[in-house]
Amino acid sequence: MLISEMDIITPQTVNDCLLILSKKETEHRIIAGGTDAVVRMKEGKWLPSTWINIKGLKELRYIKEINGTIHIGPLITHTDIIHSSLLQKKANILVEAAREVGAIQMQNMGTIGGNIGTASPAGDTIPALYVLNAAVELQSLHNKRLIPINLLFTGPGRTVIKPNEMITNIIIQPQTENEIGIFQKLGPRKAQSISIVNVAIMLSMAKDRECLGGKIAFGSVAPTIIRAKKCEALLPLNPLTDDIIENIAKIAWKEVMPITDGRATAEYRRDMASALLERGLYRLMRRWERK
Amino acid sequence: MKPSLNWVGKRVKRIDGPEKVTGELKYMTDYHFENMVWGKVLRAKYPYARIHSIQTEKARQLPGVICVLTHEDIPGFNGFGIVIPDQPVLASDIVRCTGDAVALVAAETQEIAEQALRLIEVDYELLEAITDAELAMSSSAPKLHPDGNIHSHVKIINGDTDAAFKEADIIIENTFYSPRQMHAFIETEGGWGVMDDEGLITIRCPGQYAYRDRMQIARALAYNPELIRVISSPIGGAFGGKDEITVQIYLALLAMYTNGRPVKIHLSREESVIAGIKRHPFKVQMRTAAKKDGTLLANEVRAVADTGAYASLGGAVIALAIEHSCGPYKIPNVNLEGFCVYTNNGISGAFRGFGVNQVCIGIETHLDMIAEQLELDPVEIRKKNVYHQGDISSMGHVVKTSVGTFKTLEIAENCDLWKNRSQFKKEVSEPWKKRGVALATSFHGIGMGIGLPDYGAASIELLPNGKFLVAVGCEEIGGGNGTTYAQIAAEILNCDISKIKVVQGDTSKTLDGGTVTASRSTYTGGRAVAAAAPKMIKLLTSAAAEILQVPLSDIIVQRDCLTAKEESLTYKAIYEYLYIHHKPAKVEGHFLLPKEKVEIKGSGGAPHHLYGYLTHVVMVEVDTLTGETDVLRVVSIPDAGKVINPQGLEGQAEGGAVMGIGYTLYEDVIIEEGFHKTKNFTDYIIPTIRETPVIETFPVEDAEQTGPFGAKGIGEVVMIPIIPAIMSAIYDATGARIYHLPATPERIFNALKDVKNKMPNIQGDKNDE
Ligand SMILES: Cc1cc2nc3c(=O)[nH]c(=O)nc-3n(C[C@H](O)[C@H](O)[C@H](O)COP(=O)(O)OP(=O)(O)OC[C@H]3O[C@@H](n4cnc5c(N)ncnc54)[C@H](O)[C@@H]3O)c2cc1C
Repeated sequence: MLISEMDIITPQTVNDCLLILSKKETEHRIIAGGTDAVVRMKEGKWLPSTWINIKGLKELRYIKEINGTIHIGPLITHTDIIHSSLLQKKANILVEAAREVGAIQMQNMGTIGGNIGTASPAGDTIPALYVLNAAVELQSLHNKRLIPINLLFTGPGRTVIKPNEMITNIIIQPQTENEIGIFQKLGPRKAQSISIVNVAIMLSMAKDRECLGGKIAFGSVAPTIIRAKKCEALLPLNPLTDDIIENIAKIAWKEVMPITDGRATAEYRRDMASALLERGLYRLMRRWERK
Repeated sequence: MKPSLNWVGKRVKRIDGPEKVTGELKYMTDYHFENMVWGKVLRAKYPYARIHSIQTEKARQLPGVICVLTHEDIPGFNGFGIVIPDQPVLASDIVRCTGDAVALVAAETQEIAEQALRLIEVDYELLEAITDAELAMSSSAPKLHPDGNIHSHVKIINGDTDAAFKEADIIIENTFYSPRQMHAFIETEGGWGVMDDEGLITIRCPGQYAYRDRMQIARALAYNPELIRVISSPIGGAFGGKDEITVQIYLALLAMYTNGRPVKIHLSREESVIAGIKRHPFKVQMRTAAKKDGTLLANEVRAVADTGAYASLGGAVIALAIEHSCGPYKIPNVNLEGFCVYTNNGISGAFRGFGVNQVCIGIETHLDMIAEQLELDPVEIRKKNVYHQGDISSMGHVVKTSVGTFKTLEIAENCDLWKNRSQFKKEVSEPWKKRGVALATSFHGIGMGIGLPDYGAASIELLPNGKFLVAVGCEEIGGGNGTTYAQIAAEILNCDISKIKVVQGDTSKTLDGGTVTASRSTYTGGRAVAAAAPKMIKLLTSAAAEILQVPLSDIIVQRDCLTAKEESLTYKAIYEYLYIHHKPAKVEGHFLLPKEKVEIKGSGGAPHHLYGYLTHVVMVEVDTLTGETDVLRVVSIPDAGKVINPQGLEGQAEGGAVMGIGYTLYEDVIIEEGFHKTKNFTDYIIPTIRETPVIETFPVEDAEQTGPFGAKGIGEVVMIPIIPAIMSAIYDATGARIYHLPATPERIFNALKDVKNKMPNIQGDKNDE
């Protein structure tokens, strides 16, 4: 497929879009902000005959609170997330993750739907979505289904999204008063870098450093984002003193199964899973104490 | 008493500033012409292979293809290279790296050109790639070039190292590895070629020496150089990476086959990574001996540089490295040896610092190690060992020109960061972070060494509008040398700087004045302007005397005009007089760089007559959990001679510091088995503004008598001592030494682990803090 022969269709409504998606004659792919799509097109990896440009679909750009849940439209950009007072208050961890995506230009163009759609194990918003118990709404012309985020990805770059489906909503559980979260990222540099390891940590706190429970989701250390269930299980056992934090963090390397690539070796990634967990928990406790 | 200066030494705004910051300026690769065609280069599929045949038929038949060229279509000599032309323009029988060009295509669109490349069938026979420089040197390795794999060998012996090592109180020995840094200029290699009806070929292509590019094009085309015009300025960054031919010859070849239509080539970043020149990765083994009081006694160096498939300037790089391998110190006994070796790893060549970066890390680290073991202050040990003007250097020659090292060390020692370092080190933001402060000093030769003719030339022309056109061959590479030329001209002509126009890098408008490399363009170009300007004054005053009919001695050169008694003449009036009387309105200035008379035996061009010196002080913060390192503060103390433009100097000092940070902490083009693992800026990590620290610049102005107004050169040394300074600061912070750059978080983390494993008792320390 030559790039000059590709088509771009710009549907005006979600329904239009679903209609186009339902047609099987052409090989098509959605393009939102294009920050992944254009790169992969240039690399010759994504060469559909038709691009479906959804960037202008205003219906899919919203953040609202409904019945104790927060609904985020897939066309919400990372910058939208950073500026949302609702998310700052009730899903701060997602705000922190969005701040770590690329740099300002990427945050202005890139969308949360695109971050999910690309399904990179290093995608920065995804661990945050894991600990916010996100569910992703997939729509086709005649159907709508809700998939929990941990069942959405089948492997690197692969999801259960069918060719006739698109993401139309992302539903998260807001953080409660006693829940605190933090996102930690290690990249080869501070901006414009792909995560070597990242982690989202959400804790439910009682008084002092007593923890009622928590969720820990790691990125870039397995074929998909993974939860560190053993570490999670240890969180409520003892107050999270610096010593205990170090001990819990040491377990993390056992829960990950990373690979070696150009950015880091598997061994280093393992060590970094522990390091980021330790750093994250430590910083969270400082924050909690200042609260 | 010093005469006061109007322009020199002042913060004069960049004359090309507004057009650059507004984006109004067009770089050559920004141009689009009507009727243009696209050129593309077919690169080798393998790092080392024999070519049995090249079939271009299918590509030629693709609609929209204008021509497909191979080695058979080269009218002249099929080779290029600044020193020896060992790189084929288009490979005929063998490819030696994946950057090798095999064929050229011109087509109506970029896409068609790319398609055509895919239709060219090359029958290769794979050969086993040689990817390790040390292995390439062994006698059993296959020869990549007829004379073998050692392209050059330099050896300097001075004094008696064996005896010195025997009497030494302390000996330090280490091996250092340095990365293959990429210039990472924003404008990748590219440009335009066009041939007109009269056979004049015009090449617009950013380069660092238009006249030499022209000769290389002429040689390959077997074409009269007078009929080739090369426009090489302005440049969207080069740093040495456009010193060699990039695409000029391809453009010229294609232009001969496109029926007068302009042809454009502009490499993608990916192609630039593969085909562009890089900094030589070095392996440096060093052994240094000192007395108890810190006096350096001896230094042994063995450096091996991987020049990749072709020489380019590799021989000169290793020679300069060895010349600088002992630092700006007087070490009486040295035994220094360098090899420049061919492999199948891309191509290495010129890059800001030119080999000094790689060796500086050795000697400076060793000074710090010696100082630590002897419990000496890092400044004191350096002060004790540096040479002063008139002293004998480690190379064994008397340094006659200005030497500012001692002064830079004095400033370093008294700067806030160094004086209050113990306080700053305590101010870590989190308990697992550790801070360190260190300093290092280095130097860099200015201009070419012995054996290479080195000259500057400039012309000044009075224009009809009463302005002066200052023309200098040295290109505007981004550093602002044009502003420097304007300042020098305005100073001597005694006019406002707005009266000066500058043109650079155009064989039809500027004289041959050498390269914009080797930290030479302010010094050399500036001196040439300073040589031309008095001639212009002479031209103006004699014309004024004729016009006013007064004796020459009555003419006074005033600001922006010439006067005699009551009468005053504008430049415009003078121009009109000259024009009417058919008198020349243009003058030339020429300058031959002073050289040393005696070449140091075996050195390949040492010593230089002139060096710029610099000391860096840095503070880093290491995250011991992850190995991430932040450079927080940098103090840059250059000895640039007289500073022509403080703003320009700061630009160099800051840009150089950031480039040095990139080299030390992030950057490396990784090649495995001859294939690039690093593809583009996704995986080639350069510092961003978030990795950019506070940088202070405190120049030492040790005036150099031969330079324009006492100026020297500074363009390269600004990125050098910061490299070992960061390495030592990491050690100061954590106790971990890094010998292999870049010091990525993973390398630092592993070094920290090693330190911990050697000291099993420190476990649990962290919580006590
Ligand atoms: C320089 C640079 C730096 C980057 N840095 C980071 C980083 O630090 N962290 C990080 O996580 N990512 C990073 N990225 C990747 C990218 O910016 C993000 O993944 C971004 O969120 C993608 O959003 P987009 O709207 O641009 O997606 P697009 O490129 O438009 O689409 C990406 C994929 O998602 C699909 N898609 C988009 N919307 C929908 C939808 N509504 N329904 C179904 N499928 C959909 C598309 O079909 C496509 O397959 C970087 C990219 C670049 C170029």
